[in-house]
Amino acid sequence: MKLPRTINPATLQVGDALPEWAIDINATRIVAGAIATRDFMPVHHDKEYANTQGAPDVFMNILSDTAYTSRYLTDWAGPNAMVRKVAIRLGVPVFPGHTLTYTGEISALEVSDSETSVEITLRAMNELGEHVGGTATISLPNESAL
Amino acid sequence: MYRAQPMSDDLDQQLAALVGQPIGDTGPTYAPDPVNQPMIRHWAAAFEDANPIHVDAQLAAESRFGEIVAPPLMLQTWTMATPKITGIGERGGSPVEGGRAKVLTLLDEAGYLGTLASNSEFEIVRYLKLGDEVSATTVLESVSPLKQTRLGQGYFVTWVTTYTVGAETVGLQRFRILKFKSGSAS
Repeated sequence: MKLPRTINPATLQVGDALPEWAIDINATRIVAGAIATRDFMPVHHDKEYANTQGAPDVFMNILSDTAYTSRYLTDWAGPNAMVRKVAIRLGVPVFPGHTLTYTGEISALEVSDSETSVEITLRAMNELGEHVGGTATISLPNESAL
Repeated sequence: MYRAQPMSDDLDQQLAALVGQPIGDTGPTYAPDPVNQPMIRHWAAAFEDANPIHVDAQLAAESRFGEIVAPPLMLQTWTMATPKITGIGERGGSPVEGGRAKVLTLLDEAGYLGTLASNSEFEIVRYLKLGDEVSATTVLESVSPLKQTRLGQGYFVTWVTTYTVGAETVGLQRFRILKFKSGSAS
């Protein structure tokens, strides 16, 4: 296998849209994400317990939100992208049966000698509204510097 | 935001006194295990993150990182408490007994029982490598003035956690919640 390609930052412009990414969420994904992030709060794996807390079902934990957000960025940018910053506001919950759809747009570019810092404004929507929204910054190596 | 104007009441004074203070009395939280491949593989599988820098030593060696690195947003996971499963529901989901932040106890006692997570921000200084031993120190950064929100009146509480390996800062996390009084919406 070869290392997948990383985006050449010289090809990017402010205003460019990232490809949309949609993921269907079910209870298995919610539980798998909670446990992989060592979050054992019952609202993320026990429906009856979630009901006692006023939620209709288990819901996704915040560490899964940031995990999917970073995956959205690096799936697009490639393995040599380094995630520098993720700043998200937390909106409506994600329940099993929801589809989470990420969209993003390049909102700033800053080129230095060896790398380019790319700021992306992004959001993830589901059937209830905005689940997360905010900005992220990744750094990409300049191909001229490689 | 540490306010310059005089505090209007007792609760505000007690909250202000906690700003800048560490969240617990026990010092930094140490990760129970060093950064390791099994937990990374489990994480990558759970989120179906196929980035080879996290799981494939050969491809990671060809990347800018030069070796396997942990997923950056896994930072918070390394220092999470090993949970005591027995009684976790009765503790409201808290993984361990005790250790509730003073600011939360104070707001609970004042009737601000509702909790809503509002913002999560990470700054990554460097990616973690296998064997890194992470520790975390959390400080109460700010308590907002009393705000009227659509959920009711409440305070925004912001913590900053600094993650270190030895003396080196590897990342920061800022986390904000709203503690609110239900039924006080205007």
